[in-house]
Amino acid sequence: MKELVEFFRRYSKWFVFVFYVVLSCVMLFNSDPYRRHLWLTSASTVASGLYAASNNVTSYFSLRETNEDLNRRNAVLESEVVNLREQVQRMKLAEYTDTLQLPDSVGHFDFIVANVINNSIHRPFNYLTIDKGTADGVRPEQGVIDHSGVVGTVSVAGTHYARVISLLNPNFRLSCKIKGSEHFGSLVWEGNDPSGALLEELPRHTVFTVGDTVVTSGYSAVFPAGLPVGVILEDHKNHKENFFTLRVKLFADFSRLSNVQIVVNNDRDEIMAVEASDASTITDDTGIKVKPADRQ
Amino acid sequence: MSKNVITLSLLFLLLIPAQTVLFNHLVLFNVAVPLVFIYLIIVLPVTMSANVAMTIGFLTGLAVDILSDTPGVNALCCTVAAFIRRPVFHAFVSSDIDLADQLPSTRTMGTPAYLKYALTMTLIYCILLFSIEAMQVFNLRLYLLRIAASTVYTFIILYAITLLTGRRHEKRL
Repeated sequence: MKELVEFFRRYSKWFVFVFYVVLSCVMLFNSDPYRRHLWLTSASTVASGLYAASNNVTSYFSLRETNEDLNRRNAVLESEVVNLREQVQRMKLAEYTDTLQLPDSVGHFDFIVANVINNSIHRPFNYLTIDKGTADGVRPEQGVIDHSGVVGTVSVAGTHYARVISLLNPNFRLSCKIKGSEHFGSLVWEGNDPSGALLEELPRHTVFTVGDTVVTSGYSAVFPAGLPVGVILEDHKNHKENFFTLRVKLFADFSRLSNVQIVVNNDRDEIMAVEASDASTITDDTGIKVKPADRQ
Repeated sequence: MSKNVITLSLLFLLLIPAQTVLFNHLVLFNVAVPLVFIYLIIVLPVTMSANVAMTIGFLTGLAVDILSDTPGVNALCCTVAAFIRRPVFHAFVSSDIDLADQLPSTRTMGTPAYLKYALTMTLIYCILLFSIEAMQVFNLRLYLLRIAASTVYTFIILYAITLLTGRRHEKRL
């Protein structure tokens, strides 16, 4: 017995070392980002408190850019309002009001505005932390966008803060299509360039030109159809395969994200329930073919 | 001893927020990452028990991991770094008898020995960290570039910290 104690004491260094290494490896290789304990993420109370405090100071640094973005966005929306108003006016004049069917794909969605309080772009798996949580209606697997395009999806939500899987994270795949075409593929980040990603699994017969806009397909409960994602830069791989892989330049500038919107799908619970009951045959009444959420 | 506890606690409370709020965002050319918090492991007293050193290392890494959403990565690297710290130290300084309870610094080790020790520890840490990242996404050119650039960048900042905190009277061993 005494020798056993002596043995453990003598080699305690190695036992402690192995214990910590195993503990770290468990955290390291438990890679499902949706199944994390809240306190092990940047949305935990201490971490988010620290980031919120520093964001109080640093958010002022980018006010000029934020203001310019808002002005630009405002101008775009302004012109859109004018155009739509004219359109509605014309249709009223043509007495089509009783049969007018405006596209309602955005009707199911609400948006929650949030500030990014922490963000990374240079790691193999990047995340953001935002200052809205379950108390504000944020839930895991809701989409996150900014004024220029898709940013990511919520993975862990605390009471007042949430952690978002960035589009710059290979764990996140986004169902996308080329604007004006109905063929869809899957957008995934390849791990080093924060300004671009790859659009994979696009059928070979898809017609496209470099510079075409890539938008969300809407084949999920996470993002509405038609949200801008990026533009096609080039055809990436050899043509022997049955699918195109295209390099896409992302619209969202991840190096200076400040304000984002969380996409709340009001029909999500219903879609999920229907999906859970029989995933193979469902097409809902808006024509959205219900597929599993954007991550696969 | 209690002075060391206070110094190390202060370093912990200062370096980890500084790393996550400030230095994580000062990445140069998307390759050079300043890993300033490893200063805490570099200055652990050599005579400190390996078990305590590894516990401090693990907790430091874990704190950085939680704050930067890199679960386990830095905890693993810091544990290993705290484990091999002593052999690395003895590669540059022959005996630790005179160093009882002292924090390694230019004052206690002499500038050349301390800088070599700090540079080696930084290099080892960067190799560990980027090897783990390379297991997830591998790109040889980027892997080597990140190790080299981050080692140099981190070392320059650590040297600046040393100059700021160091005292003028050096004692050579």
